[in-house]
Amino acid sequence: MKGRTPFTLYGLLAVMAALAAVASFSGVATTVLLVNLLVFAALAYSINFITGMTGYVSFGHVVFMAIGSYSLAVLVSTYSTSPFEGIALGALLGGLFALGIGAVTLRFRGVYFAIASLVLALAGYNLVLQFPQFGPGGELIFYIPFQPLTVFFAIWGIVVAEIVLTFFVNRGKVGLGIRAIKDEEDAAAAAGVNPMKLKLYVYMLSGLFAGAAGAVFAWSTFGVNASSAFDLTFSLQMLAMILIGGMGTSTGPLLGASIVYLLYYELLTYPRLQGGQFLVVGAAVIVIALFVPDGIVGIIRRKYPSLKPVIE
Amino acid sequence: MALELRDVDSGYGETQVLRGVSLKCGDGTITVMVGPNGAGKTTTLKTVNGLIRAWSGSIMFGGEDVTRLHAFERVERGMASCPEGRRLFPRLSTETNLRLGAYSKRARDSVDETLQDVYGMFPRLRERAEVRVGRLSGGEQQMVGIGRALMAKPSLVVLDEPSLGLAPKLIGEIFEKIVELKKRGLSVLLVEQNAFQALNIADYAYVLQEGRVVNEGPPSQLMDREELKKAYFSIE
Repeated sequence: MKGRTPFTLYGLLAVMAALAAVASFSGVATTVLLVNLLVFAALAYSINFITGMTGYVSFGHVVFMAIGSYSLAVLVSTYSTSPFEGIALGALLGGLFALGIGAVTLRFRGVYFAIASLVLALAGYNLVLQFPQFGPGGELIFYIPFQPLTVFFAIWGIVVAEIVLTFFVNRGKVGLGIRAIKDEEDAAAAAGVNPMKLKLYVYMLSGLFAGAAGAVFAWSTFGVNASSAFDLTFSLQMLAMILIGGMGTSTGPLLGASIVYLLYYELLTYPRLQGGQFLVVGAAVIVIALFVPDGIVGIIRRKYPSLKPVIE
Repeated sequence: MALELRDVDSGYGETQVLRGVSLKCGDGTITVMVGPNGAGKTTTLKTVNGLIRAWSGSIMFGGEDVTRLHAFERVERGMASCPEGRRLFPRLSTETNLRLGAYSKRARDSVDETLQDVYGMFPRLRERAEVRVGRLSGGEQQMVGIGRALMAKPSLVVLDEPSLGLAPKLIGEIFEKIVELKKRGLSVLLVEQNAFQALNIADYAYVLQEGRVVNEGPPSQLMDREELKKAYFSIE
């Protein structure tokens, strides 16, 4: 592990550089598509920190995304700040909420953690409706100039940061401890790993980045409303993306996000195929979960072991 | 004294398992706990290594009160354990499993030397270094479990049923390794169903029944005692 050339990291950063070039030199439609794609990639990397790495399924992960969306929407619409301050606040609050929530819910294992996180998302939705600061029906809309390229580079920077962090967390001592937790938490504790500390650390990262991504999402849609901000479909899509791509890996979330996003929002949007996206993505998730639980990265790893240094 | 439990109560949730267990494990000795299924042997070990907390009583380790410490903090102080059913990381390789044993600050710096040392003790594991632990045989897995405990550079090793599910020939081999640990100056606390064989290598032994220590003494004394048979077979 040590001293090996980080081909994977170089490769991913090259892909990101290529996306930046495409966005800079092509039309608005392409840039907007790439913004949406990267918002999904950012969400996939964020849930990857907790669910991909530790195996704790964060069903209600959308709650951190919503925290970010409302952070930006409130700052921009009520206090007229720049969207970047909204992203910073979204990331900060996302991380802090993850720490607070995780301190309690990460004590539950398996399905109990998943249920607790789901309940939080439902509670969040109802809480938002109680406060007039979040607008009537939890809806806030703001009018700022349309700058697709600025939005693009905001989400681009977030995804690059996530890729680098995922890579180094996986390689380091934290990653070793986390793999042990995922395999056998009690044995990890008996081996000297502090499971609570490591789980909180990655959960905090995952809340932070989901918050940042949620903020950019609100920016790109010029507002937020409660029913879509807390839409559990987002949670499911995030899970589908890392499952299809490869849980816990640094390549998987980008791969999975591209596949799910393109299938869902671009390729299967003909009126005649309405609803078909659910079927296709759902079927893909089932097939992958049954036959290749480590996703596309897992398939490549097994079929072409020589590619291992390039994809891991 | 390497380890001392004083009047420890412990259990899971509402269910009390241990009722006032007191025991000692001398420096550089092998202390064995025997008793029938459900006597509380594994619960005792989990309370010792910190996977569950004692309800009352105290646990002294190397002269320090560790009753309230987490499992990882006890590892940091030199207590390593090989939990029941080995509790390895089945999807990680043999070497990664071993390296994880040296996760604590105490052991981290010398991990490469300790690894060579463990391979020296279990040459078979060197051959299997890159293999996923889930694919190893039962005997090899047991070696990984003990090896992983050694990676923590412990002064006390806590072993739960190292003979579980092994062929008789392998059991002998594992027991020889346990004696080797003692020769290296480590203290060993061992729980075994395989009572008679365990008593053969023990310096001191405790008989547990229904969460209580019902008998204790040097093995020579215990071996003949009717109590032991009674504890195991309920022969009156």
